[in-house]
Amino acid sequence: MELLDRYLQAVRKYLPVRRQDDIIAELRANMESQIEDRESELGRPLTQGESDDFLRKMGHPMLVASRYQPQQYLIGPTMFPMYFYVLRIAMLWAFIICMIVAAVVTPLTQTGGQAVIDALFRTPGVLVQVAAWITLVFAAFDFARTRYPQACPEIPGITQNWNPSSLPPLEKAEHSGKPRSFTQTIIEIVMGVLFLGWLLLIPHHPFVLMGPGAAYLQAGPFLLAPVWWTFYWLLIAMNIMQVGWKCIELARGTWERPSPILQIVSKAFGLIPIVFLLTTPDHRYVLLKNPLANQMHYAQTLHQVNEGLHFAFIVVCTIIVVQLAFDIGKLIWGGYRNHLAG
Amino acid sequence: MTVADSTFENLRLELRRGCLTLAVLAQLRQEHYGYTLRKDLAERGLEIDESTLYPLLRRLETQGLLASQWREEDKRNKRFYRLSPEGEQILSRLLDEWNSINASVTRILDANDPETK
Repeated sequence: MELLDRYLQAVRKYLPVRRQDDIIAELRANMESQIEDRESELGRPLTQGESDDFLRKMGHPMLVASRYQPQQYLIGPTMFPMYFYVLRIAMLWAFIICMIVAAVVTPLTQTGGQAVIDALFRTPGVLVQVAAWITLVFAAFDFARTRYPQACPEIPGITQNWNPSSLPPLEKAEHSGKPRSFTQTIIEIVMGVLFLGWLLLIPHHPFVLMGPGAAYLQAGPFLLAPVWWTFYWLLIAMNIMQVGWKCIELARGTWERPSPILQIVSKAFGLIPIVFLLTTPDHRYVLLKNPLANQMHYAQTLHQVNEGLHFAFIVVCTIIVVQLAFDIGKLIWGGYRNHLAG
Repeated sequence: MTVADSTFENLRLELRRGCLTLAVLAQLRQEHYGYTLRKDLAERGLEIDESTLYPLLRRLETQGLLASQWREEDKRNKRFYRLSPEGEQILSRLLDEWNSINASVTRILDANDPETK
């Protein structure tokens, strides 16, 4: 029967090489017996359609062969929770490290915004590599544990000598804090608008920012570099966005529990002006009004001021990145827990 | 297929998996080859797909619960399986477990059935 031969040939291709002949011989014997039985019942050979139906009922060759595979999964149900836990922690730390490298180390070692963007784009590749290595290690361990259980050591504190007293203390329930009140939201919006107004006053009245220092800046040999103008407008845009977002929350009636995703997005946007300052070529935040005349006298001071500012931006940037990574981790963890609870 | 159907199907398969192993082991107290075993199980009301049964026999043999040998019958080479001594011990323990679970589930169902109260 040519069709049966073709079917068995197709099954063979997906079988483990070592057992192919044996399995195919057994399958053939069983299937031929079944066909014979059916033909003796009918008193005639099977038609093409009946043969097709018989094989269709057996299943696709790949599926039939897959049932002969000893291990159907990469990481079994026993190891999976531990694997997933380790994967989450490792991914979170890999993400934090990538962000620190992109936002802090890269601007320190290379100039130009392109280097930071390149470093950011490398993050997904790093995360995939971390996940692949962890999966590989766990898959190998699970394979060894399944095949050679005697050879695999017990894991202290998990598979042996587990002590219930070592359980962590009870955590505070999610959203245990008081919801944001309507008045608080209104105050935040008003303060946001006032802050925005104050920001807009600065270019024309530097005194509101620097106090008496504004007079010194005007009279002294230094001036702020043009980079501050871009920073200033980025800051204005960010504040407009935040006030607008709070107004939308108020309009939608969702001010009690602000969306954590929007909070993260807002914090991520907060990185833009800082990263912009960090990537300023040669860290030129303050310049000399008259370089030709004052270069000799103020060069050292100017260098110290610019480097001091650069260091301050690094610190601020690091704090924001760590906070952002922590918030993202918290959001992912919360989402996962809700998924499990749901 | 609805979500409920899919859930039912998964649970049904899960429930059947252990029962099938038990039935196959019990039936192989007498020697069979794949196809006749399938027929015998079907005649006793337990339909089982070829693509499930034949790999299951292999797995049980790998675990040492079945012994097999190739033999010619009706001018055709066939692989005959029967319960190994280890398989007999395991079957006996599994049957105890099965009877215990069955009795417990029956008691639970009776206790929660308003008609039997």
